[in-house]
Amino acid sequence: MTWTCDQVEARLSDYLDGLLTGPERAEFEAHADSCPQCVPLLASVRSLVGEMHAMEEVEVPPRLVYAILDKTLGPRETVTGWQAFLQMIRGMASPKFAYGAASILATFVILASSLGFSVKNPKIADLRPANVYRNAVREVHLVGARGEKYVSDLRVVYEIQSRLRQDDNNLRTTPEEVLPKSVPEKTPGQTDDRKPNQPRQQNRADQISHQLELLAAELPLAGGRSIR
Amino acid sequence: MEQDAQLVQQCLQGDGSAWEELVRRHTRRIFGICYRFTGNRTEAEDLAQDVFLRVYRTLGSYRSAHGGFATWVTSVTRNLLIDHYRRTKRDRVTDSLDDKMAVVENKESAGRRPDEQALLGELSGQLQNALTRLSPELREAVILRDLQQLEYAEIQTVLAVPEGTVKSRINRGRIELARILQQMGVRPA
Repeated sequence: MTWTCDQVEARLSDYLDGLLTGPERAEFEAHADSCPQCVPLLASVRSLVGEMHAMEEVEVPPRLVYAILDKTLGPRETVTGWQAFLQMIRGMASPKFAYGAASILATFVILASSLGFSVKNPKIADLRPANVYRNAVREVHLVGARGEKYVSDLRVVYEIQSRLRQDDNNLRTTPEEVLPKSVPEKTPGQTDDRKPNQPRQQNRADQISHQLELLAAELPLAGGRSIR
Repeated sequence: MEQDAQLVQQCLQGDGSAWEELVRRHTRRIFGICYRFTGNRTEAEDLAQDVFLRVYRTLGSYRSAHGGFATWVTSVTRNLLIDHYRRTKRDRVTDSLDDKMAVVENKESAGRRPDEQALLGELSGQLQNALTRLSPELREAVILRDLQQLEYAEIQTVLAVPEGTVKSRINRGRIELARILQQMGVRPA
């Protein structure tokens, strides 16, 4: 059944709000899309609803909240002079303010120390821009040098570890070289390079220390340093 | 919504800061409803204060089981707006608050300063002007649905009428508003 203009007008908002069923929507559109009176009505209401939804919120008067609070809770007392100052000081005694102030102070102390300003022995001269710049550059170089040294030391340790692993593998594959070929022929106390009377671990330790000495001689940064 | 219920409980126990928080959370919305209904900022300010004063005095009667706090405050706002309308429009012949057919009012939006009009923007100002020309029943329905974005069920609670009546008022309000704007020359025929 084809809808009339009155029916379309009565269900206009339901159509715009998506509340019509499938068949109802079809009947609505069948009339509203062709009726010379309903077409402009639908377009104008649709446009109006869109504009109302897009309207900005009304600006609230800035003192309205305080006026409401005064009317309900009663007017707040305003303090001046010394009382206002004491009230401000009391406000600073809150944990939140104390924590914030301590954080800021710690930040300044760390920053000043990193720029060369001595907290224990402060000097006005340390605050001069030229001195601050010089101290900052010196600190940057010091940090850079320490970082370089740390990386180099790590490299040395890594090289030593890898050599030790290599030696360990070599020792496992050729155990006959460590032990003497004819033990009964040697007399106790006789010294030679292998020292067969000593336990295997001591021989191995001696070989490792010999390897480390060779390694130390090879690496420039570790040159002249005794590993033992 | 749950936070509002907690704040209400704290208010009832005498916590002034909880009341302040409730006021801050709802002032913008309540002032918006009052302004859209009256079209006058000064009246809207006074009415918003009266709304919160009434809410403050009757806070003990709020029951969360009957709906959200925002819906309850909106109901109080709507009742005050209607009372205000009745007080100020007592002499009007086209008073349609007694279940008469809604009639478009030829009311000028009194009390709006020229700078307010400029601030609102031309179209927005004309829309507000047209809104205040609607009858109160249609005006409140359109404000709650299209400007406050309330659901039909909430509007039903606020207006204390059946859902069918809510839909009918919103529909008639939108159509009348479009026709008013057309008469004002804002919309093409």
